[in-house]
Amino acid sequence: MFCIAAFIILAVLAVFSAKYRRSLAKSWACTSRRLTLRPCDTGFRDDAKSRLLAPIAVRHPALVLPAGIALDVLSWLLILTTVWSLYTATKAGANLVAYGTCSPQNAASCSLGAEACSIDSGQPEFWESVGTGDVVGAFAREFGEFGAAFAAIPARLRVWDADEFVPADATWLTAYDADKPTAIEILDPGCSVCRQLFRNMLESGFDRTHNVTYLAFPIPSPDGGTKFPNSTLVASVLQAVRLTPALAERAVDWAILTRIFTGEIGGAPAQEVLNEADRAQAEAILAGWLAEAGADAEQVAAVMALAESPEVADALAATASVVRDDIDTVKIPTLITDGRRHDGLVGVDQLR
Amino acid sequence: MARSIDFAHIDEETAYLDTACRAPLPEPVLAALDAYHLEYAACGGRGKYAWARRVDEVVEDTRRAVLKDLRLSPRRYATSFTLNTTAGLNLLLQQLPIGRFDRVVTSHIEHNSVFLPTMTAAARLGVPRVVLERAPDGSLEIDGVDLTRAVVVVNAASNVDGRVLANAKEVAKAVHAAGGILIVDAAQAMAHAVDAVAGLDADAVCYSAHKLYGASLGVVAARIDLLRSLQVSTIGGGMVADVREDGFDLVLDDPASILEPGLQDWGGIAALAAALPWRTRAMREGGAALTARADRLYEALAGMPGLRMVSEHRSTVIAVAPEKQDAHRLAIFLSEAGVAARSGYFCVHHELKHRRALPPLLRFSLGLHTTDEDVDRTVDALGRLMRGLR
Repeated sequence: MFCIAAFIILAVLAVFSAKYRRSLAKSWACTSRRLTLRPCDTGFRDDAKSRLLAPIAVRHPALVLPAGIALDVLSWLLILTTVWSLYTATKAGANLVAYGTCSPQNAASCSLGAEACSIDSGQPEFWESVGTGDVVGAFAREFGEFGAAFAAIPARLRVWDADEFVPADATWLTAYDADKPTAIEILDPGCSVCRQLFRNMLESGFDRTHNVTYLAFPIPSPDGGTKFPNSTLVASVLQAVRLTPALAERAVDWAILTRIFTGEIGGAPAQEVLNEADRAQAEAILAGWLAEAGADAEQVAAVMALAESPEVADALAATASVVRDDIDTVKIPTLITDGRRHDGLVGVDQLR
Repeated sequence: MARSIDFAHIDEETAYLDTACRAPLPEPVLAALDAYHLEYAACGGRGKYAWARRVDEVVEDTRRAVLKDLRLSPRRYATSFTLNTTAGLNLLLQQLPIGRFDRVVTSHIEHNSVFLPTMTAAARLGVPRVVLERAPDGSLEIDGVDLTRAVVVVNAASNVDGRVLANAKEVAKAVHAAGGILIVDAAQAMAHAVDAVAGLDADAVCYSAHKLYGASLGVVAARIDLLRSLQVSTIGGGMVADVREDGFDLVLDDPASILEPGLQDWGGIAALAAALPWRTRAMREGGAALTARADRLYEALAGMPGLRMVSEHRSTVIAVAPEKQDAHRLAIFLSEAGVAARSGYFCVHHELKHRRALPPLLRFSLGLHTTDEDVDRTVDALGRLMRGLR
């Protein structure tokens, strides 16, 4: 293992200094034999190891044996950490390509991908599982995720047609124009990044160049609820509006979303207030917005009642199924437009 | 005792004990080498200008000095210069006339420079190769051996333990009586045991100038009739008097040139001219001290735990077998302590590795540059290692 560890170190040093390249070639001769399960016959290993131990040998020869053992242990550690690092980097790269985040289990924690609200898997992390004694499960999940990331890459790289995911009861941010391309956003009304994306759309004029619709997807939380406490309520109301033709025609659901993403309540962002409100307060806020959007009292009552219905629940479940199984995103918002899928926040310039 | 003024350029903190491979150059030899490169760095045997004539004079003087040093007659012998001992032996052995010899004879303790070309020479000549024992005193055991028309190739001194060819004269006499020839590898004898080969009635003596305090250079002192009998296959400029479209004429009046294709190391030849008298004078003045230091080191090594003496006799070349430690590792550790010693099988794999099944060895070869402090440093460093390493 020593020659492999030396090769790793020399490979790094050789990048910066030519004087290490001769040794690198020697270490590779030994490493290539070790990697093909043959004994190293170049003498490099013993030579390099002895040179490292020589200063100790001439001063404290009795320490050569323990120092040699320590070198072997360090070599093993270096190789293991290197292999693990390469594995992790490869996995992160595959995840980045497949899901737009290096950590699908906690997308928000990955700084390499676009900003987003993550759809956490709820599965324990590798070391967390190992810590609880579930070593087999830890490795099974780890390698399962590794395989899943690569399996997801082809789908991620395909041409994404937004019209494929537009629901029958879709409403549009602006008046539908058959000459404009379609854009569909998977959003969670409680997600602050969705708020920013909405603002970017308005600022960039994306709403005027595209037919924009949405799929409301309350991000689930590991405890069985949702990441943002009132997301299901809001999504249900939005879905109820879409099931109410008189209101859907006027895109009242978009009016509510516009309130959530751009409005203020008492000087605070409306979304934050809604997220922190209890259910009764949230229902009151939503009812108020419905009324402000032109719904009469009867329609408001009908919508709020419909939001509690199995019909709406089924519609939300169907939407969740599309998000999880067909689109397979782990980041909210996800925007599908112009043949591509954008996971996470999309900047103003890119939207232009 | 401080290092000789002739070796003042050698680092005092390094005990260089690999003289059997390469002897350091003393100041007068360095001066001769410098003089060639600084004052008359021209080709020999080709030019009519002053520098070239000076080169020719130096080369001719050195050829004569080589023969004089070996106490050989210039009427019967010629001196050729080659790359090293191995090259000289190969030039002779690979060009011997086919059909002239019945066998190739050598010994088990030969350096690969002898051991390997005797294999290929026997194959080329289509004759058997016989490998003989060497007695503990270095004598070649020829009793009862058929030496009829034999090519006998042996060393005059071993590079493992320094033992000399004690019965060299008897061997030469027996070989010649049987119609054979004797080629001597004198690489290890020339520095400190030239008497082992000087005056010997050998047909050729090959050695390396760099082992007798000269620059890197091979030397062949060979009988003129042997040189003229060679079936020349390695050929080039400097060897021919005339060249036609399909043929050439060798230089008949310069048999030494038969082994000298192409340009020579003129600087190395000039350095050898200085090294020969320097070695003679230095051995006369410091030979006894060198022997005393070698004896002291031998005694100290023999008393160290974990070391087995491979050398049975005191010599300036001392080989030991570490019983539990790897010799290569010890050599690296010694290097850290300022001791330059060799490790391995010293190109004598057949005898050491296969016949005697020895592990890689450590070898300490002293020279005229070696000081008492070098010996002390070596004994101290190796002693500490052998006592401390587990």
